[in-house]
Order: sequence, then structure tokens, then C-alpha cells
Amino acid sequence: MTRKNVITRLIKSLPAAAALVVAGGFAADAQQLAGGKSSGELRALVDSKLAGKTVAWMPTTLGFPLTDMWTHVMQQEADQMGMTLDVRDPGWNPDTMVQIVNSLIADKPDVMIVHNFNVQLLAKQLKKAEEAGIHVVQVNMVSNYKTGAYVGADWGQVGRMVGEDVVQACGANSGSSGKVAVVQGDLTSAASIEQLAGFKEALAADPSITIVSEQDAAWDASKANTITATVLQQHPDLCATFGFWGTMQNGAAQAVKAAGKTDQVKVYASGEGNRQDCTNVDDGLFYKFLNYSAPRQGEAIMSAVSFMLQSGLAPTDIRMAHYSRPFWVTRDNVDASMCFDVPG
Amino acid sequence: MTGTSGPQSFMRSKDSLLSQEVIVMLVTLFLCAIFAVTLPGFATVGNLLTMGNSVAILGMLSLGMGVVVIGRGLDLSQITAMAVSAAIVCQMIGSGYPIPVALLAGLAVALAIGVANGLIIAFIEIPALFTTLASGLLVYGIARITVLDGFISYIPKGNDAFLYLGQGRLFGIPFPVIVFIILAVLVHFMLSRTSVGRFIYAHGDNADTARLSGIPVRPLTVFEYCVSAVIGFLAGLVMAAMNASMNTQVINSTLIFDVILVVVLGGISLIGGRGSVWSVVVGAALIGTLLNGMIIMNLDSNLQSIIKGLVLLGAILLDNFLHPRNEDTARQGD
Repeated sequence: MTRKNVITRLIKSLPAAAALVVAGGFAADAQQLAGGKSSGELRALVDSKLAGKTVAWMPTTLGFPLTDMWTHVMQQEADQMGMTLDVRDPGWNPDTMVQIVNSLIADKPDVMIVHNFNVQLLAKQLKKAEEAGIHVVQVNMVSNYKTGAYVGADWGQVGRMVGEDVVQACGANSGSSGKVAVVQGDLTSAASIEQLAGFKEALAADPSITIVSEQDAAWDASKANTITATVLQQHPDLCATFGFWGTMQNGAAQAVKAAGKTDQVKVYASGEGNRQDCTNVDDGLFYKFLNYSAPRQGEAIMSAVSFMLQSGLAPTDIRMAHYSRPFWVTRDNVDASMCFDVPG
Repeated sequence: MTGTSGPQSFMRSKDSLLSQEVIVMLVTLFLCAIFAVTLPGFATVGNLLTMGNSVAILGMLSLGMGVVVIGRGLDLSQITAMAVSAAIVCQMIGSGYPIPVALLAGLAVALAIGVANGLIIAFIEIPALFTTLASGLLVYGIARITVLDGFISYIPKGNDAFLYLGQGRLFGIPFPVIVFIILAVLVHFMLSRTSVGRFIYAHGDNADTARLSGIPVRPLTVFEYCVSAVIGFLAGLVMAAMNASMNTQVINSTLIFDVILVVVLGGISLIGGRGSVWSVVVGAALIGTLLNGMIIMNLDSNLQSIIKGLVLLGAILLDNFLHPRNEDTARQGD
């Protein structure tokens, strides 16, 4: 379309546009009267439920991009809703976690958010907290006791998605050995238990695939490195290794690199998508990375909190979950925006 | 080399045939023989090198700890010295500092920790157990607040020269194993062929007698803790190069107990003045064999902890049996 054409069209449509503006003006005016009032009422109603409320947040530990990013996003959302976020850092110490939850039950915040690395550890305390009238949200790793809300990955789904990809990469028609190693996190963590179950479920589709090792590295890259070096020595024809956390699997990727097998062994990992995860994919250290995005989880956590407080329901009357949508980061699609840097 | 090498051999006339080193070595060989028969792929050169690689860091740390324990001390802050100094190096490399500058900064931090430990223990005479427990916590806390961004510091791509320290091979031998061997030879030479080494044995055997004989026991103590911290720093560099990152969470792990396990297992008694580098070598060999075998057998970590705990208990019982206690031989922690 030439410039002249555009101008002619504009001039021709002027009367119609003017009519629209006038009509729209009347309509908007009328709406503003009714809608403006009801919008204001809604805001007041929401504020009465949210503003001034206290949300206590206990990650497993601060200091990892995963927990730092959650905390950052949650703080922003809490500010937006006029709530106070009270962050308690147990420093990855189970005893301290129990103490903190017990002291929180006494403090009675309106909502308690916990990141629980063990299926049994806090079960009793969380039940007590709900009975005391505190809403409890569990994040990413869940206790055997299911509280009002769970926000995080559906670990079964994450394990299955990686398993299905491994079947493609190492299955009967791939021409590979079909040997797969698993690097687990803590054995008592829901993330390990459920990811392993989902992964095995997907692998069952192809009997030519065998799991040659399923050691746990306790979320530690250095242990993942040692285990993987030994497994590679035992099975030089290994087809893939799957680690339950990118930060830990980084060690396995280094072991594969040190053995000069980066092209042969496909290194899979799932995780929150911190900067290093994307860098590892970009550098070819990870073959594929399944990202459940910590910043999005941070928003979802606070949406759940907002819903619980606005619903007016008692903590024990709510049973909900928001499962994070995992997406693949591969060498073909990797892009800086898929991973996050912790601000500040 | 025999199990009774070094200046302490005269103390060992009674049990020289079945010293702890020899017993541990026999146990290790026995385990190796069993694994070689039952585990396919165990008795290969490749697997033995992998095994060496996986205990090289533990072995290095144990050399440093060994020097302190021979002087009847204990350094619980060694893992902190290792992780904090290496993490600072990683973070500085990541921020674009030249590698030599980063290395010097890391070394300075490790030395400062060693000197501080030594001064407090030697001059204020606070027991090593409490001093190093507290200093480890303190240093880590300060580092986390002031210098370190998070638990994990990564080494960015393009620093392959540094990564070679942990991932490279020389004549097919993994570089961490070579670093361990060089360190072991140096420490052995120091302990058995220099007067400082002999003074360390004298210090551990009986500190009062050593002082009365004119040995500068206090500066010697500072030196011992510096050796431990600096060797910790070197082990940290190797660990960082292996993983292209340093995770300071390792400070909260059980690694320090693994180090003590290797030291005690090999016959460096907690009463001081006994054992040698050979003790560390056989102790590390036994732990390495166990770990490697357990990974190949795919045992879960709980079972692995139980087995490691039993071995430590066995070693302490053996230590007690071979070196009965009396008031002259009070151990660290008594």
C-alpha cells in the first residue's frame, strides 16, 4: 500500500471514525459509571481479604538460583497484593526446618509456604498447622501429607516426558546399546521417587532399554560426577544419563565430557531453568533439558495463596494443585529467554 | 616402603608385623580380589584409574589432615577452607579476573584460615576440636555474606587450561591422581626427611617433652594448620576443575568425616605421633575400593552409609586395640 493510498483511506473513513468515537464516548461514560463503581468495590473486597496478611516462606535453603528466584518473584507478588512475606532460611538442615515450622505454628501467619525435601519430614507439623487455621502451600517437593495447595512440577509427568524422549533416542531403532543411567536426588524426596516411577513407566514401552545404574547423588554435582565416571567405565557404550536436577547433573555432564563421550552419551536433566542450565545445553554438555521454570512457579505459588485467602474457606477444606508446564530446551531451540538470572 | 616407615618406627617394635597399615592393605587386597571375581569390569586398568580419580580429592584432604593429626590436632574447618577458597577462585575467574590473580586470592584466604586456626590453638590454647569447628562455621558465614553470590560458583566456558587440573589426563592417568601422587611424595619427604617433619611427630607424641627439648611447638602448630588449609585449597581447585563449578554446600556434607575415616583407618592414630603418608594411601585405597564396588553393585546410599560407618567403627576399635589409652595418650575429643 502506498503512502498516498493510506492517507486517502484515512480521510474517507473520518466521518465513520468520528461517529464511532462519539458513540463510544457515550458508551464508555455509561460503563464507567456502573463498571467503575463495581471495579472499585471488587478492589476493596480483594484488599480486605489480602492486604496486611502475612505469608511465611521456608525454602529448603536460600542460595540456589531455584530458591532465590522463587523468593524474588514471591516478594514482588506479595508487595503487589499488599502482603508481608516472611522468609525463613533453614540452611538445608532438617532439624531447623522442623523447628521453623513449629515456631510458625505458634506465630500463626495467614499462609505458610514450604519447600519440603523429604516425604516424611514435615508431615505431622503441616497437618497441625492446617488444623491451627494456617493455609499451607507446598512447593515442588511434597510431603506424604497433602496440604491445601501444591504448586510445582508433576514429577510423574516430568519423568515420563524424559522417558519418552529416551525411548526415541536409545530405543530399539536407534542403533544404540539401549543402556541408560539414572542419577537420583535424595532417595526420600518426592521429586526422586515420582520422577523415577514416571521415567520407568515410559521406558517400559521399549524392552530393549535397560537401566544400568540408579544411584543417588543427594543433589550434589560432585557425587553425580563420581558416579557417572564409574558407570561410564562399566558401560562404555552407555546411551543416556538422566539426572533429576540440572544443577546436580552438571557434574555428570562434566564426567561425560572428561571421558570424551559428549557425542555418544545423551545427558538429560530436568530443572528450574537457571542460567547455567541453558548454558549447558548451548555448550553441548546437556543433550536436552526439561524446564519447569522457577519464575512462573513463583507467580503460580502466589496465585494459589491469593485464591486461598480470597476463598474464605478453611485450610482443611481446600485441596488444589497447580502443576507447572514443563517445556524442552534443546540445542535447536535454546535461547537466552528460556532461562533466568536471579536479579540483584 | 614398609608399614613402619618414618621416625616413629621405633615405637612399633611389638606390632610391626601386623601394623594397622598392613592390616588395612591386606583388607583392601582381599576386597579387590573378591570384587575382581564377582564384579565384571572391576579389575580393569580403566576402572582402577577411575577409582583413583574418585578418591584423589579425599586422599589429598587426608594428607593435610594427616599432618595435623600426627601433631595431635584436628582440623574440622578443612572443608570450609577448601570450598570457600576454591569458590572464590571460581567466582573471580567468572568475573573476568586473570587465573593467576584468582589463584593467589584463593591461596591467601586458605592461608589466613590456617594461620588463624594455628594462632588460636597454639597461643590461646583452645582445644583444636572447638577452634576449628567454630572457625569453619564463622569463615563460611562471613564468606557467604560478603563475597560469594550463592552456593554454586561456575567456571565459564573457555577456561580449559584450568579444567585440565580436574579433567585432563597425562599418559592416560587422570590429572587428579597425579596431583595426589605429587602431594603424597612431598608430604612424605617433609614428614620423614626433614627436621620439621620429625618435630611434628615429636609434637604429637608428647607436646610437653617436645617443648622442653627446645622444639618451637607454637609456631609448629601454626605451620601444621597452614599445611592442612593449603592442601585443602589445592583439593578444592581439583574439585572445582572436575565439576567446572564449586558448590559450597559440600561444607554441610559428611566429607569431613570421610577424611577423618581415611586418616584413622590407615593408622594415623588420634593420639598423635603415629602413622605416615603410607597410612593415607592405604586408607584412601580401601575407601576408594569400597565406594567403587558399591557404585558398581548399584547399592543405595543408605546402605553405603551403613557400610562406611561400620568400617570407621572397626578402624577406631583397631586403633584402640593397637594403641591402648592412658593419660599420656589422650586423644582429640576425650
